[in-house]
Amino acid sequence: MRTASDALLAKTGGRQPLRWRAWLAAGLCAWVTGAAAQVPTVFACEPEWAALVRVMLPQAKVHVATHARQDPHHIEARPALIAQLRSADLAVCTGAALEAGWLPMLQQRAANPRVQDGQPGMFYAADHASLIDPQPATLNPFAGDVHPEGNPHLHTDPRRLAEVAEALSERLGHIWPAQAAAIAQRQAVWARQWQVHTERWAAAGRAWKGRQVAAQHTTFGYLWHWLGVEMVADLEPKPGMPPTPGHLGALREHLTVKPPAAIVVASYQDDRSARWLAQQLRGRSPVVVLPATVDDPLQPDALVIWFDGLLSRLLAAQPGGG
Amino acid sequence: MMPRRPASPTAFAVALMCLGMAQATQAAESESWGVGAVLDVAHTSRGLALGQREKGLQLGHSDVSAAGPLGQALEARFTVAAHAHDGKVEAELEEAYVQTRCLPAGLQVRAGRFPSQIGYLNEQHPHADDFVERPLLYRAFLGGHWFDDGFRVNWTAPTPFYLRTGLEVFTGKQLVQEASRARSPGAVTLSAKLGDDWGKSHSWQLGAAWVHNRREAALEEEGSEGGEAGHDHAHDHAHAHGAAFSGRNMVLLDAAWKWAPDGNNRDQQLKVVGEWARVSGINRFARTRDRHEAQSLMAVWRWSAAWETGVRLDWLKARSPHDDHFHNVRLREQSVMVAYKPTHAQTVRLQLSSQSGAVGVEGAAKRSVQLHYVLSFGAHGAHSF
Repeated sequence: MRTASDALLAKTGGRQPLRWRAWLAAGLCAWVTGAAAQVPTVFACEPEWAALVRVMLPQAKVHVATHARQDPHHIEARPALIAQLRSADLAVCTGAALEAGWLPMLQQRAANPRVQDGQPGMFYAADHASLIDPQPATLNPFAGDVHPEGNPHLHTDPRRLAEVAEALSERLGHIWPAQAAAIAQRQAVWARQWQVHTERWAAAGRAWKGRQVAAQHTTFGYLWHWLGVEMVADLEPKPGMPPTPGHLGALREHLTVKPPAAIVVASYQDDRSARWLAQQLRGRSPVVVLPATVDDPLQPDALVIWFDGLLSRLLAAQPGGG
Repeated sequence: MMPRRPASPTAFAVALMCLGMAQATQAAESESWGVGAVLDVAHTSRGLALGQREKGLQLGHSDVSAAGPLGQALEARFTVAAHAHDGKVEAELEEAYVQTRCLPAGLQVRAGRFPSQIGYLNEQHPHADDFVERPLLYRAFLGGHWFDDGFRVNWTAPTPFYLRTGLEVFTGKQLVQEASRARSPGAVTLSAKLGDDWGKSHSWQLGAAWVHNRREAALEEEGSEGGEAGHDHAHDHAHAHGAAFSGRNMVLLDAAWKWAPDGNNRDQQLKVVGEWARVSGINRFARTRDRHEAQSLMAVWRWSAAWETGVRLDWLKARSPHDDHFHNVRLREQSVMVAYKPTHAQTVRLQLSSQSGAVGVEGAAKRSVQLHYVLSFGAHGAHSF
């Protein structure tokens, strides 16, 4: 069976393959050499960092590895992510072992020297803010997913987010010196606005100071810390371990005495355990599903929209009990 | 058994090249060596033909490993693995390699002892497997998982999808341990992987590999030839090292597809993996139709954060060499498993396997029940797709 390309080959006397090869070679060369000169390319492990990059370097091409409905602890080192990291000039991740299950594999497979640990192109947010709840390192396999460095979910504290933004703007300026002044200026504008929002959120959240919540995992640990809310129970029996019937039963006994103001789960978590517990507490503790991060990081003001939504959902929860 | 090898000149050359290219760096971010251990035990009601687990409670593939950076330019990994074999615990050096992390243009070089990157499973650590035994394909053609001494050069293309091509050169002594004829290097592999996402919920990967093996396996048990057993040779005893069926050329194709609602694989995920291999050029007497072939098809369904269940079907067709002629070998295997994974560190698995259609294979197990427990301590490396 002769195909169209065979016919074409016959007509041009077999010279076609050479031309094809020349085109292919030229294309490959352009690809390889052009990579560095192209638009700044950033790989963000989580959407909150993508949103920050977007604010400070709007012309950058940003790959976002995860979204708000994915548990960032449990991402797989998928081929698509390797390809994205391969092309990145800078990777922005949380660190503190949040991505320990997948980022090292991506770094190894992508074979991109710019984004290896220790290089300027690998930015970890956790290196630029103080972390709460550091744990003693343990080899005990029954202790759950312990993060010795501390709780990695630092983006739910607006003040720490601002600290990271400042460090990130310096790093962006270091990698793209020609843009450094513009980046610093955009960061300064953003920081001023963020400060105003932070004060507004702090004022609104004052009503919740001293309240108690139950939550699944310490995803919002920094939010509680910032608002002065006390997390009295974790639906997970061990960090990172899904809720078990035995543990939920024990929590029911424990929480019936003084039901928490809310039972909080993140948008990426299965909320069945929280709903079961709420039912057992006879509706005195409403279930609140909070967005773990920004929904669309490429949207202008994505971080403000996310935090507004997060706070209004929390504040809308009406504790039925005391 | 702890074979040692001198540090290869290639490793030094690469190290020097990298040191030259390493850029001046800023403040050192959290970089340290991770040390971890894996304990793997299984109780097997009946050992499988070509299987690597013996009857009773046995130590499986357990290991101690250390991995971390060597300066800005290199990283290294060492793994010592132990398992029970013939009533004794055997330990061996399974990984000891250095790898570049500084080469430009998507290039990467690795030298030392490491598992070959052919196939879907070979490079994965066995403790991350979804079933108690590796597929028949791996047990028959690769000695379970094939690691060897040599070096690798990989190139990851700057494409919007994942494309990686690689060349490996090995001594081949772990693939064919006793060779009647051998040339150096003993084994060369060429492989490629291609993969991407489909929307938010699907991801896939295709792989193709060619293994050129230049070590011809020595014929087994020639002394017993013509004994009372006649042609009934004991060629199926479960030896954990080296390929049971080898040949000059092997072609391996693999495909993996994973689906998780919204890409959130914590609570739900479906994983389907198929692999196919053909080995030709069994020895100097082999004709074109004397070749081995094996296939494996598995599906694993994670239906809650801690529970998985899976099915695997395996087929093997081989030609077992005896002097100047060959005997047919046929085996099918079906496995069903359910696994409980309360955390990353623990797995409890119950598996039922059945082997059927056995021709030229001794000890095919009509029914085998295996209870498997894996416990990880400390840092264990991130898993691949």
